[in-house]
Amino acid sequence: MTVADSSTLSMPDMQRRAFVARCASYALLGVAVLLILFPIYWMVITSLKLPREILRVPSLWPQVFTLNNYRAILDDDNFLVSIRNSVIVSGSVTLIAVMISSLAAYSMVRFRYRFRGLIGRLILFAYLTPTSLLFIPLSIIIARLGLGNSLYGLILVYLTFSLPVATWMLQGYFRAIPRELEEQGMIDGLSRLGALVRIVLPLSAPGIAAVAIFVFTGAWNELLLAIVLITSQSQRTAPLALSNLITSDVLPWGPLMAGAVVSSLPLMILYFIAQRFMVPGATAGSVKG
Amino acid sequence: MSLPHRLDAAAQKRSLSFQQALFGYVLVLPAVLLLLGLVAYPFLFAIYVSFTDRLVGTVGKFIGFGNFSYLFNAAAFQASAWNTVVIVVVSDVLKLLIGLGLALLVHQRLPGRGIIRSILMLPWAIPAFVAFLTWRVMYQPIGGGINLVLSQTGIYTEIIDWLGQRSTAMPAVIIATTWRGFPFWFVSILAALQTIPDELYEAATVDGASAWQRFWAVTEPGIRPVVIVTALLSSIWTANAFEHVWLLTQGGPSDATMVFPVLAYFGMQTQRLGEAAAVSVAMLPVLAILVFTATALMQRDEDR
Repeated sequence: MTVADSSTLSMPDMQRRAFVARCASYALLGVAVLLILFPIYWMVITSLKLPREILRVPSLWPQVFTLNNYRAILDDDNFLVSIRNSVIVSGSVTLIAVMISSLAAYSMVRFRYRFRGLIGRLILFAYLTPTSLLFIPLSIIIARLGLGNSLYGLILVYLTFSLPVATWMLQGYFRAIPRELEEQGMIDGLSRLGALVRIVLPLSAPGIAAVAIFVFTGAWNELLLAIVLITSQSQRTAPLALSNLITSDVLPWGPLMAGAVVSSLPLMILYFIAQRFMVPGATAGSVKG
Repeated sequence: MSLPHRLDAAAQKRSLSFQQALFGYVLVLPAVLLLLGLVAYPFLFAIYVSFTDRLVGTVGKFIGFGNFSYLFNAAAFQASAWNTVVIVVVSDVLKLLIGLGLALLVHQRLPGRGIIRSILMLPWAIPAFVAFLTWRVMYQPIGGGINLVLSQTGIYTEIIDWLGQRSTAMPAVIIATTWRGFPFWFVSILAALQTIPDELYEAATVDGASAWQRFWAVTEPGIRPVVIVTALLSSIWTANAFEHVWLLTQGGPSDATMVFPVLAYFGMQTQRLGEAAAVSVAMLPVLAILVFTATALMQRDEDR
């Protein structure tokens, strides 16, 4: 980095320097973009290659494009079932976590009561307590409840990480909503709960959507608890079904990458839709600061 | 206003605030009960189990520090401790440098930065298991993308079994972890950069500060709180992550990339629950320091 004093330079010099700096910036960003996109490119391209080509003639561009890998993975009932299971688990976790944490976050933002600080700390600790510490006792508890190897058990334990983070995030969004709006609503005859449902929730819809996507993503990605709790093929989630493919002796790369693409799609679609209405949410959040 | 009337009003107000508090408790109760049952209780349970010789199907008896003294002498445990430190420190420093560098670049008002920003976020947007499975395929000695690019560009023509040999397995895990994890640093730092007022930079420029001086006088203080919280969160998550190592190497070759969560999982598979729990609990002291610091900082931010 140069330490020259820019004020001593003449105008054309400065323009040239700015131009060079801009080119350098784009060059660096270009390298970063390439490094980021390459694995994603490799995933997609591998999923479109013939199995024999993947191993024998490795290349950056397939000689023959094929959808065989996708056909193989979509013909496999087990994989489709695992996607369905993932949708059920992630969807249920999102719904339950958002409902319970909305009430909790609203309570902590609006009301003053004893132990409020303590509860706030409990939520933060829960947020930061890693799954790696909890999975052994959780597996014992879930077995005791008779919920082992079931999606119900999975939904229950996924609340360990989704509830705290949802409550934590929602507190931020609710805090940004002026108390006066609610009080006005209550003067107009709404109950406390009515004010929450009719005024607070609609106003924080972008925030709730962001939280829902965050929770859904977390549940969709989870592997450790699923490996520990799920034992039968019919209850597997997508990460479990795919990671099971690599434990075989021969890596079925084509179908594996096809499965990877397919199980990324729901999240990609979610992000694409979300980008539109998450922007006003982000600005609403920034106003309070 | 007469005195009794005023007392009445005070009582009414008190009962109103009592009602409100009660309502507050009712709303927060489901979350608190679930967290007590699903996080606090298992947390204490894990500590208890780590002091027993519990096996699957038995309750086991209290054996004091038996599991811990056994583990501290076990090669796999020692390897895990060292590997966890290496992965956390090296990958978080890399994530910081890459995230900060890219955030500074994107923060300039360059045309096209919106699309660049979206692309830089992609590794965070795709599922973790997809990311690490893809890297596993990329690292394959034959037909893997990395060897292909290295040989075709002439950088290195020998075939490397990235995940299969001790010398390259750890760097390979760190690179994949960094690839997946830097966007979190990038967005956090970028958001912090956007809160620094332009006037500060202008004032520093008027005072004759160089770019390097401006960074340390204006940028660094402006992003420091965010960087500290990000570092704590990222360290906690990286140290306790399971899928990166599980999907890439399963801890191999010969424990070269073994980390605590994977070791604990293997322990559980061999039915020795007490020992497996002790593996997780062994990192609790360090974890507790990180968590307490992060909690204090995050609650301070919240109260601000």
